[in-house]
Amino acid sequence: MKKGIFILVVMLIATTFLFAAAKAEEQKPDRIEILYWRGLTGVAGEAQEEIVRRFNESRDDIHVVVEFQGAYAEILQKMQAALAAGDVPDLVLLDSPHLQIFAKDEAVQNLDRFVKAEGKGFLDDYVPGLLADSYYDGSLYALPALRSTPLLYVNADAFVEAGLPKRAPKTWEEFREFAKKLTKVNDRGETTQYGVGFTLGATTAHWYFQGAVYAYDGRVSDEKFNMYLHEEPAVKAATLWQDMVFKDKTGVPSTTHDDLFTGKVAMVFGSTGSMGNVMRRASFEVIPAFIPGQVRNGVPVGGSVIAMPSTDKWRQWAAWEFLKFFTSPESQAYLAEMTGYMPSRISSAQVPSLVEYYNKNPHWQVAIDQLKYVQPQASVISLPKGTEILRQMVEKLLIGNQDVRKVMAETEADLIKEYNENFK
Amino acid sequence: MAVAATPLHKQMSKRARRDMWTFFAFTGPTFILLAVFIFWPIFYSFYLSLFKWNMVSPRKTFLGLQNYKDMFSDDVFRLVVKNTLIMAFFTVVVKMAISLYLATQLNKKIRGSNFYRAIIFSPTFTANVAIAMVWAWIFEPTYGLMRSFLRPLGLPMIDWLKSTSHSLPAVIIVLIWSGIGYDMVLFLAALKNVPLEIYEAAIVDGASPFHVFWKITFPLISPTTFFLTITGFINVLKAFDIARIMTEGGPLNSSNVYVHYLYQNAFQWFRAGYASALALVLFLFIMIITLIQNRLSKSWVHY
Repeated sequence: MKKGIFILVVMLIATTFLFAAAKAEEQKPDRIEILYWRGLTGVAGEAQEEIVRRFNESRDDIHVVVEFQGAYAEILQKMQAALAAGDVPDLVLLDSPHLQIFAKDEAVQNLDRFVKAEGKGFLDDYVPGLLADSYYDGSLYALPALRSTPLLYVNADAFVEAGLPKRAPKTWEEFREFAKKLTKVNDRGETTQYGVGFTLGATTAHWYFQGAVYAYDGRVSDEKFNMYLHEEPAVKAATLWQDMVFKDKTGVPSTTHDDLFTGKVAMVFGSTGSMGNVMRRASFEVIPAFIPGQVRNGVPVGGSVIAMPSTDKWRQWAAWEFLKFFTSPESQAYLAEMTGYMPSRISSAQVPSLVEYYNKNPHWQVAIDQLKYVQPQASVISLPKGTEILRQMVEKLLIGNQDVRKVMAETEADLIKEYNENFK
Repeated sequence: MAVAATPLHKQMSKRARRDMWTFFAFTGPTFILLAVFIFWPIFYSFYLSLFKWNMVSPRKTFLGLQNYKDMFSDDVFRLVVKNTLIMAFFTVVVKMAISLYLATQLNKKIRGSNFYRAIIFSPTFTANVAIAMVWAWIFEPTYGLMRSFLRPLGLPMIDWLKSTSHSLPAVIIVLIWSGIGYDMVLFLAALKNVPLEIYEAAIVDGASPFHVFWKITFPLISPTTFFLTITGFINVLKAFDIARIMTEGGPLNSSNVYVHYLYQNAFQWFRAGYASALALVLFLFIMIITLIQNRLSKSWVHY
């Protein structure tokens, strides 16, 4: 009797699995539910929710469930856990340098066949500089979602007070001169206002430094992982930063934008994606500006891409539909308006709502103006420990006050070792 | 007799069998939970520690004991171990000294002692992340709270969290602050258990307060002291969130501690094998410490 029930239960379970397996072979289901893992908090998070809401409203056959997974680092960690468990989301927002690690092992889908199915010229409207780092080994693995560049946020009131013109410095040399004028020391010899806060931190320290290296017409590394940190452009940029902290005493290491809001520093680096927060939180006028140029203008593109870990055929199809919607000119224009992130579509600049918004808020246009200078980040950013090694470099320069050329040589050696051991 | 013996024997074995099933029914759920969430991860991380694996790739490369050997040539590992031991030692010693002092003071009949107890205990039920963020602001030299305390004394302003010499002390201060309440409450409970007659006898015999404390109070609360030493030490070895939020282990790894370094290896740098090896070493280290402390305790703990 008992044995009979047991066998019955086993058979019931087995048939359920059989049905489930058979179902997967069937034709396209009427309604597909897919899961999107988003990151970012504040305005950038809400704007993504809004895009999902709009998509779900427009489609009967697909429903997107969006889950917040934390900061980029946490998403990375949760993706690792999800892959180990074999239970992945259909789409995931990744910090752009993380894409390569997943693409390398095909943990996210190669999107070439979807692009091909869309027909010729599908990618033509995507800003090339923002699309470039979505490729691995010649194949597309993601689409640019919330792309950013480093900016210089300037306290305009402090500029006026220091008798400076109400505009951001154009070159790094001018930047250094401005910082001197902006630095205030009280009668006890304490600095009450610094010219600039140099950002430390594991995920951002390297990014602003890359911007400075680009400005001196140099680079950190190329696609073949040749290193250029020992060459003049990188050395000049590093020396300038270090001198401003230890010789001029006009720069100070900084880890939070509170340093700008409280008046501790008059200039600070930040992402275009922080524009919404910075402009709304500051109690004084803030000018978001290009990172200074020198020999030329050039900015390393950052921010996030959306990749597709989905393993099921129809869910992949649905995920691609949502991905197209998320990166449509209209969605990208909406995201740019809400957050300050750069639209990844060329035609977003013609979307009426965005045109109108920029007319009303001319400062925000810096995001679009910068597009012509964007270029991918250094290849070493994709090494598992790449950003950490560059963070150590910035700390050695700005906190350790170590010899620039020695620091550069050590950093190159560490990067090459990391490449040989963990990437090649 | 012989006829009766057989059924009795059968009866017994039946009962024994039933007892065995009862035993499994009661211990089973706990055992399964322990096996799935404790024993299996320990064995699996030992297995992983023998490989090089990035947690994404389907391929794992067998390395043997290379991950363990790598620790010896890893400068950051050495620094991190040093930082962790310094942090554990100072946190436990200072925290227990302060909380024992506070407990003896609050054990007296003073007005509002319940109020003070509640205040001092409050960090215990505050999220560490929030504590770390508030303290990061307190330590800020230009607009932080510490400025208003140190500046009137004419002390120089230091950016604690961005200094290689001050970042670890800053983390230790926060760990001490956040742990005092818990230790104090346990000390208070221990103090209340010391029989009053002993004190009365000591006072009649003319013992000084100093002697009363060292000869009576301290020995009698030694089980609590012992318990707090072990758990405090092990907890600090595992501390992660304060350093993570306040400094991310920086600058230049000056406040990087063991579990944070392990986390970086596993989840930021994709080194599951090396991180597993680190975890195993910590596991063994904590086990050895517990054994040693257990052995030592027999000589000075008066239960």
